[in-house]
Amino acid sequence: MPVIAVSLNGALGHAGLLLMLAAAFVGALSTGFAIVVGNRKGIRQATVYAWMILAGALLAVIAMQRALHTRDYSLDYIQKVGSNSTPGIYNVAAMWSALEGSILLWVLVLAGFTAAVAWRFRKRADDPLVAWALVVMFLVCTFFALVSFGPANPFAAGATVPVGFDGRGPNPLLQNHILVLFHPPILYLGYVGFTVPFAFAIAALITGRVGEGWLLETRRWALFSWGFLTIGILLGGWWSYEVLGWSGVWAWDPVENASLLPWLTGTAYIHSVLVQQRRGMLRVWNLSLLVATFALTILGTFLTRSGIINSVHAFSAGQIDGYLLGFFGLVVVVSLGLIAWRGDRLRSPGAIDSPLSREGAFLANNVIFTVFAFIVLLGTVFPLIVEALQDRRTVVGSPYFDRLSMPIGLALLFLMAVAPVLPWRKASTELLRERLFWPAWCGVGALGVAVAVGATGWAPLIAFALAGFAAGSALRQIALATRRQGWRGLVGRANGGMVVHLGVILVAVALVASNAYTESTELHLTVGDPVEWGGHTFELVDIVAETTPRTDVARANVRLDDDRIYGPAITTYLQMGQPIGTPSVRTGLTHDVYLTIAGTNAPVAGSDSAVLEVFRKPLILWLWIGGLLMAVGTVLSAFPGRRRRNPLEPVSAMVPEPVESPVESPIETRGEDVVSGD
Amino acid sequence: MSTSTPSDLNRRAKGWTGWVLLILVAVGLIVVGTTRDTGPRTPDERIEAISKRLACPVCQGESVYESRNTASNQIREAIRQGVDEGRLSDEQIIQQITVAYEGEELLVPTGSGVEALAWALPAAAFVLGAAGLVVAFRRWQRSARSLGAATPEDYELVARALALESSEEQQDDARDRP
Repeated sequence: MPVIAVSLNGALGHAGLLLMLAAAFVGALSTGFAIVVGNRKGIRQATVYAWMILAGALLAVIAMQRALHTRDYSLDYIQKVGSNSTPGIYNVAAMWSALEGSILLWVLVLAGFTAAVAWRFRKRADDPLVAWALVVMFLVCTFFALVSFGPANPFAAGATVPVGFDGRGPNPLLQNHILVLFHPPILYLGYVGFTVPFAFAIAALITGRVGEGWLLETRRWALFSWGFLTIGILLGGWWSYEVLGWSGVWAWDPVENASLLPWLTGTAYIHSVLVQQRRGMLRVWNLSLLVATFALTILGTFLTRSGIINSVHAFSAGQIDGYLLGFFGLVVVVSLGLIAWRGDRLRSPGAIDSPLSREGAFLANNVIFTVFAFIVLLGTVFPLIVEALQDRRTVVGSPYFDRLSMPIGLALLFLMAVAPVLPWRKASTELLRERLFWPAWCGVGALGVAVAVGATGWAPLIAFALAGFAAGSALRQIALATRRQGWRGLVGRANGGMVVHLGVILVAVALVASNAYTESTELHLTVGDPVEWGGHTFELVDIVAETTPRTDVARANVRLDDDRIYGPAITTYLQMGQPIGTPSVRTGLTHDVYLTIAGTNAPVAGSDSAVLEVFRKPLILWLWIGGLLMAVGTVLSAFPGRRRRNPLEPVSAMVPEPVESPVESPIETRGEDVVSGD
Repeated sequence: MSTSTPSDLNRRAKGWTGWVLLILVAVGLIVVGTTRDTGPRTPDERIEAISKRLACPVCQGESVYESRNTASNQIREAIRQGVDEGRLSDEQIIQQITVAYEGEELLVPTGSGVEALAWALPAAAFVLGAAGLVVAFRRWQRSARSLGAATPEDYELVARALALESSEEQQDDARDRP
């Protein structure tokens, strides 16, 4: 019986991938052909192909989960990541703990998005814009199904193993925290989600309908993808904090950078797209940002999965790099070619009147985010450049990125403070003086609090002041909107966006405070001899050994402040033999106390002394709260605020009395955008 | 309107005097925050600062501070010894460690040779972006000027459209009322 079950997983998996590959490829060809010849019935078939793609991907993933569950060691992949002793939930997550399975997860999410697009637009399936978008999605599906079926095949047969074989299981770091279950899928929802706006952008270029229609269609898709990417990145930081033992959330590791790159261009996009929706301008720019976002997800995957850059996340070398690089090149060349071809239609009428305007602020935002993305990309590939030119090793790490991202962060906080009060078209200094006054005092207040609690250093102090200023502007907008519209003042793009801004500000403050004011020390503790440090007392209670079939754990129980006991540990996974530190954290509103056993040598159970590395991390809790607020704000901004604005309706409040002289433009003093939430 | 109503006070506070006061307070706070004496650096602070600048020799991109592997533990211990001796400066300790450990590197590209590109290119990108914005705004302003200023007829047209709109709205409101 086991023999049949064993071959079944591989067979089902291959069948699923093959179904997806065939449906995607045939679907792209036949739908494309049907559009060209105008066969409406043929175009509507696209929906069927989308469902077949999803069915194929689901079948493959179910087969993989079944193979993991039954420890089907006839598959090479299960030999790599499976183990009899891996607990159930980590065994589910083992699917994405190596290259082939993570591509399979990508395939599933992509198939899900393809089916979702087909379902969402089912009533307009014969609209060429929708049909072309589906063709693009099918082509992307074809590529990933091909990679998964070919070079990164998770169902490839493994070498014959002896009876009673037990695999090594996933990397120990990927089986000791529940977040491994959520971080990769949510991140992939963000990564892959940007395929949808990209597909519509390409469809708009092909059909020549390059106006604002496709933007409105994909507004929520882009927004939700951005939200998922944000949450995915923050969950990764949380995982790093809880698991890696150096008490940090971000190390500028190449894989982290690869997820940050599309986030940066995506953030630029969701801002500048507002200018296009409002004014019909920046068409080429917005298309380019979307293409860049999608292409950067592919490039990031290439950089980190091809093995040319090593990192803690990197899986294996050289299996799929040719495919990914080729696909990246194809995406860039085809997209740029289409943009050039439609150049005449993309030229938009109108002009941005003044740098001191909402549009001007969005443009400044775009320049900063794009330069930021360039710096992150440059820093990530710089060791490759030096190696290619001079054949020697260089390392570009946190100090480089920290130094360059500091002025960028300050500039972005400043923009977040000023931009929300700027009207469209043009602002007068009078108006800025009036609207920015109380937000600026919020900044001074934040600075005062920071100085009072002992903050030092000019960069953190300016960051806190600007954060307070930006929070003041966001709160001003929310206050004005809720005063006029009640709870509806919290929804809609402008107002929900301000909730996101408040989340970003919390994240920024938490990052600045924890980067600048983390204190750490090595404590030599002896049982019964409390030690004071950083305003806390640490008392070693005992050192215990806990043995499970899977792990050997040496835990140092430490009583903190005569209160609860915390147990940092060294865990040795028996299948891997590699000792891993597991920190223990006391979370608090003002600071966390982060305990970890120094070094990698496990202390001996029953002994009466241990060496701990202890970190005192200010405000880190607010990083997660800020992330939550960003997620809430994203949802709020996805729904229209008030009823949809009539295009004829004046954008701003009426001028109470008729203007006497027509010399002064009334535009200048109007344009408060509070009421038009969307 | 009496001069002491809250809205009037609010408006007067937002005049130039209010802003000057704001800037003075802000600068004062920053000066206090940056110049006050926080005491000499503790050995822990020195160890942290030094280990953040050194690359873990066997990983890529991670600092000795972040990395938890044996090689980095050894280097951290060496830094601790150097700091505890209290004789060498941070730079000298770093110098000593890069000599002692094969393959040890700083995490920041130097400012010379090819590595200077890591600093020059971001600056160039920023200048390019800013210059692009300036050029774009120049062009937009030129095209706006070429349209000419709005004539009194234009304003009349807008006023008529707005009046029509508001009268329609009033009619709508009247209809909505029972």
